Amino acid sequence: MWQIIVNEWQYYFRSRLLFSISAGFIIVLVLTVILGQYQSGIQKDKYVNATDHLRGQWEKIEAMNPHSAAHYGTYLFKPGGLLNSLDDGINTVTGNVLRVEGHVQNEIVYSEASQIKSVSRFGRLRSSLLLQYIVPLLLIFLAFASISNEKESGRLRLLLVQGAKLSQIIFGKILSAWLYGLSLLLLVFAAYLLLNIDSLTSATLIRSFFFFVAYALYYFVICGLTVYLSARWQNATLALTSMLAIWILWTIFLPAILISYSEAAYPLPSRDQFKTAMKEDRAKGIDGHNPLDARNKELQEKVLAEYGVDSLSQLPINYDGLRMQADEDYGNIVWDKHFGNIREILTQQKRMIQLAGIFNPFLSLRNASMGFAGSDNLHHHDFLLQAENYRRVFIKTLNDEHAYGGSKTGDWGWKADNAFFKSVPAYQHKPRDIGAIVQSYALDLGLLLLWTVVIFALMLTSTPRMKII
Amino acid sequence: MIKIQNVKKSFRGNVALQDLSLQVNKGEILGLLGANGAGKTTTINLLLGFVAPDQGSLHINELDVRNNTAEVRQRVGYIPENVNLYEYLSGLENLDYFCRLAGLKYSRSELAGFLDTTGLEGAAHDKKVAEYSKGMRQKVGIAIAYAKKATVYLLDEPASGLDPLASNELSGILRKLADEGAAILMASHDIFRVREVCDRIGILRSGQLIQELAAADVTANELEKLYLKFMKS
Repeated sequence: MWQIIVNEWQYYFRSRLLFSISAGFIIVLVLTVILGQYQSGIQKDKYVNATDHLRGQWEKIEAMNPHSAAHYGTYLFKPGGLLNSLDDGINTVTGNVLRVEGHVQNEIVYSEASQIKSVSRFGRLRSSLLLQYIVPLLLIFLAFASISNEKESGRLRLLLVQGAKLSQIIFGKILSAWLYGLSLLLLVFAAYLLLNIDSLTSATLIRSFFFFVAYALYYFVICGLTVYLSARWQNATLALTSMLAIWILWTIFLPAILISYSEAAYPLPSRDQFKTAMKEDRAKGIDGHNPLDARNKELQEKVLAEYGVDSLSQLPINYDGLRMQADEDYGNIVWDKHFGNIREILTQQKRMIQLAGIFNPFLSLRNASMGFAGSDNLHHHDFLLQAENYRRVFIKTLNDEHAYGGSKTGDWGWKADNAFFKSVPAYQHKPRDIGAIVQSYALDLGLLLLWTVVIFALMLTSTPRMKII
Repeated sequence: MIKIQNVKKSFRGNVALQDLSLQVNKGEILGLLGANGAGKTTTINLLLGFVAPDQGSLHINELDVRNNTAEVRQRVGYIPENVNLYEYLSGLENLDYFCRLAGLKYSRSELAGFLDTTGLEGAAHDKKVAEYSKGMRQKVGIAIAYAKKATVYLLDEPASGLDPLASNELSGILRKLADEGAAILMASHDIFRVREVCDRIGILRSGQLIQELAAADVTANELEKLYLKFMKS
């Protein structure tokens, strides 16, 4: 089999057309990695500068009422993972900036697609686009005639008479095309690793490994199926037509159909519905029996009893801070309920899309690619959760200062000093645990592996029955 | 040695061979003459194990083809009408590749020696096959079989499309191989070439061997008349 692979590679190198296409494509691939890295670098620098600038402004507050500071708020920026430069997934359409302030949970805004028209129309040129769409096409064009040409020319008989087994020839051709795909993949990774050599962590390397494995498995499926069709059909044109039809079905039609189906099966509320429901629950009470006024009255009585006084003016603390925090706490419960619902629906949609990988390995590849690149919905929601958790700590710190910092109820003119504002912790984003990511995408990797095994089994079982003449 | 006994073969109800029996001994060349569809290529495909007979047996060097396909192929040199080599490789590289597939590793000089034996000029050894004439490709095909140390050669219209000089060279090579002890079965339309190079001649019509004779017993003209008579009757 090794001889067959070496011979195929001699063809790859000696065919002027193929060599030119490969050389041109390699240049485009490397440029895309560099461009992706450059764009990610610019974005990262912008976010770092903006974060530093905002923090600097915050720490320069000399004296301000904590509640005013809560409305002054701050902004959080969604951090980009290192692998985002290879696959930016949903990042171009989701927002990147989240305003953190008291009373409200704002929506993430300023997506790249909303800022740059070309991105909204055409998407951004990323390595993943080439690796998911163009490389498989190249592999199809490389392998569609691999066996049918040997048959049509009569050379297959000569090869078999020389002692080569049909299974060896078929697997030799599959592996040759697969190694070509892997070489392009390795090139992308080599360029990416070289550009990020100083920032690599074990988590990034593990992500990169699984990212690589997902593509490697998918390429095997593409090469295996193409060579199988080449061996199955009597002429190369039929093999090419069949494989292109599969490629179109897998990459264009099925994803759109399956995603639409999952959205219909597990519908998300519209933005208006979501906002209205949140507003109503916050004002009327989650169950409609605990309105805002009643909650306030109950808290007031509880605090007065706790301090053993009859009126708010007798309290040694500022009741306004406690009331605002109680309102925040209730708002948080409402948010958890609604955001939890959204998260549950998205999880169900994701699971359905993942299971659709049984019919379409391209979906499994895309899921795994975005997942390991950290640019999928799970990572996005993880950021939203961390940002919300930070908002809660941030606002609670300000409300506590308002309540216990030394002011009395109704004293809205009271100001906290600079030392306090400096002591408010800055947002620190924690990357998702790599074990959890692997667990989330084990199904996609498993289905890609299943496809590989199925292709392998198909070859083994069908080879003895294949027509040679 | 090639031995075919009472072989029948049909494809989807169409009879390709009917009760065919023939034998080619060591050092002998048997020419199979016949029109298109007479069963010449089917006979060769049966001997190579690419198709199985409906009835009868085929043996090569005492080995049953059906039960020992791999071993049989090791001993057989096959030269088709068009030896389709890899055009991006030179003649020498093609020979090396096909030898390696057969598990044979030769030095460059040994490979060149095989090509020399078939009459391929040294200057052509390292040229890409894309630049070769049909005759040159046929020579590489013969070198592939020769390097394999085949004891049985199956040739399917090997001289088709060759110019007279190349065809004559091919005859010389085949004669040489037979003189070295090979058993050669050559399917052809070319009455004159068959008469010139073969020891015995068989005429196939509609899958039946209707005549077998020694080449020495007939002149080319007599053979042509006989062949035409059978084809017309």
